[in-house]
Amino acid sequence: MLCQICKKREATIHFTNVVGSDVQKIHLCKYCAEEKGFDYLKKSNIEKSDLLSGLIDSSLGKGTGSKKQDSCGNCGMKYSAFKKNGVLGCSQCYDIFRKHLHPLLRSIHGNTRHTGKVPPRYIREVSGKRKVISLREELEKVIEEENYERAAEIRDEIKALEEGKEAGRDAE
Amino acid sequence: MQSNFEKLIGTPAEWLVNGEQSGDIVLSSRVRLARNLEGKKFTHSSTSKNLKEIRDAVKDAVLDTDYLKKALPIDMDDISESERMVLAERRLISQEMVMHYKDRSLVASEDEQLGVMINEEDHMRLYAIGAGLMLEDVGRILSSLDDQVSGRLNYAFSPRFGYLTACPTNVGTGMRVSSLLHLPGLVHNNDIRKVVDGMRHVRLSVRGTYGEGSEVIGNFFQISNSITLGLSEEETIRNMEGQIGKVVEFEKRARDKLIKEARTLLEDKVSRSLGILRSARLIDSKEAMKLLSDVRMGVGMGLISEVKMNVLNELLITIQPMHLQMTNLEVLDPEQRDIARADHLRSVLK
Ligand SMILES: [Zn+2]
Ligand SMILES: [Zn+2]
Repeated sequence: MLCQICKKREATIHFTNVVGSDVQKIHLCKYCAEEKGFDYLKKSNIEKSDLLSGLIDSSLGKGTGSKKQDSCGNCGMKYSAFKKNGVLGCSQCYDIFRKHLHPLLRSIHGNTRHTGKVPPRYIREVSGKRKVISLREELEKVIEEENYERAAEIRDEIKALEEGKEAGRDAE
Repeated sequence: MQSNFEKLIGTPAEWLVNGEQSGDIVLSSRVRLARNLEGKKFTHSSTSKNLKEIRDAVKDAVLDTDYLKKALPIDMDDISESERMVLAERRLISQEMVMHYKDRSLVASEDEQLGVMINEEDHMRLYAIGAGLMLEDVGRILSSLDDQVSGRLNYAFSPRFGYLTACPTNVGTGMRVSSLLHLPGLVHNNDIRKVVDGMRHVRLSVRGTYGEGSEVIGNFFQISNSITLGLSEEETIRNMEGQIGKVVEFEKRARDKLIKEARTLLEDKVSRSLGILRSARLIDSKEAMKLLSDVRMGVGMGLISEVKMNVLNELLITIQPMHLQMTNLEVLDPEQRDIARADHLRSVLK
């Protein structure tokens, strides 16, 4: 079967379009499909960015009141452009748009904190922070259990860790 | 002298050829890591000059590692569009890179087990592929390659968000783990829907591959993780291996049931499919894929012994349009391509 647009190449991409009760069949070649934004190989990207913009919109309503920056000083990326394309401009965007990104990341990943691999240069910093986080969790537990002796110990440990380095500005 | 492109496609991919020992249901295990360079804008907002600098730096670094010192670098601007499409059919580059090729490169090992796409959505997409279900091994090799690269280049990283990627769907580990599965039994007994829903429930995604549109052809499915933030690399891989193990169990049960209830019918079907592949003069890719799926299942279930699994695996790649085109000087029209495909199948399966 030939492509419905160029009528030259073989149609390798077939779509069924349902418009109301009308079922349309669309047959396109790779090139024309790509041009029309239909390429099945890119389909996952399209879905991803659709999904993303849906999430971005729904997470925007929340957390009003705090002032949020709307463009990145390093790369010039506007938050509205990110909403449209689903990609950030540079690594600093993560910092600049942090307040926007927290709810977004939570809806995509169910989490906002990296717990995996760390490049060599960051190992000391990150392992200290992770230690503090796990101590805080333990602290909550022992307080619930009314084990105040252990709680005091943990508080001291946390204090020592935080004083050992510049207090974790990330440890929220 | 042979170009790097010719060398690369002149050697069969290890993961396809080795498929023999690793069982037939899981064809391959693939892991990729998205990485960006510190202080550089992401690919899509960089100038051509910056992209060239990034490309040079990444090429130098990866070619300096133990893993990729003999690898083949190919600049996408140096090869033709059809050649890029061949690389995409072999899954060495993404479809995205076929279209957006300027200042993009691939560095891949000759056996196609390890590769780095440069200046795709992220500055680096490091990947490793192995035959069968071996995500842990593949992940381990890729992680050591990543360690070696990170000793040579500074990655964009944040203690809070992990490896910073252009798209927030990849941020954190930057890791996408995927396996290619052949599930004719589950498609036949209609349990595939349940499997797909079950996978979604544990936040894995399932897509039909070699399919066209939403249609799945040849019963091939790709399962991959969708979460990259909040789970470690090891947890992600262990979780995937566990889930895929379950799917393999379901597929085996479906096949066992099939053979108990309709052995002769099944033998007849897979043998006929092999017969058509061995004698057709004109065959489109959809039909070929369906028949190869039947024969693959027949071989996997021990109903066909004269064809080897790795031969079938390689055919999945070589019957694709651009691979058929490659051996012909003239541009093939669709009918000529169907003839070329039939010729190729007959000569390989005779
Ligand atoms: Zn066309
Ligand atoms: Zn930025």
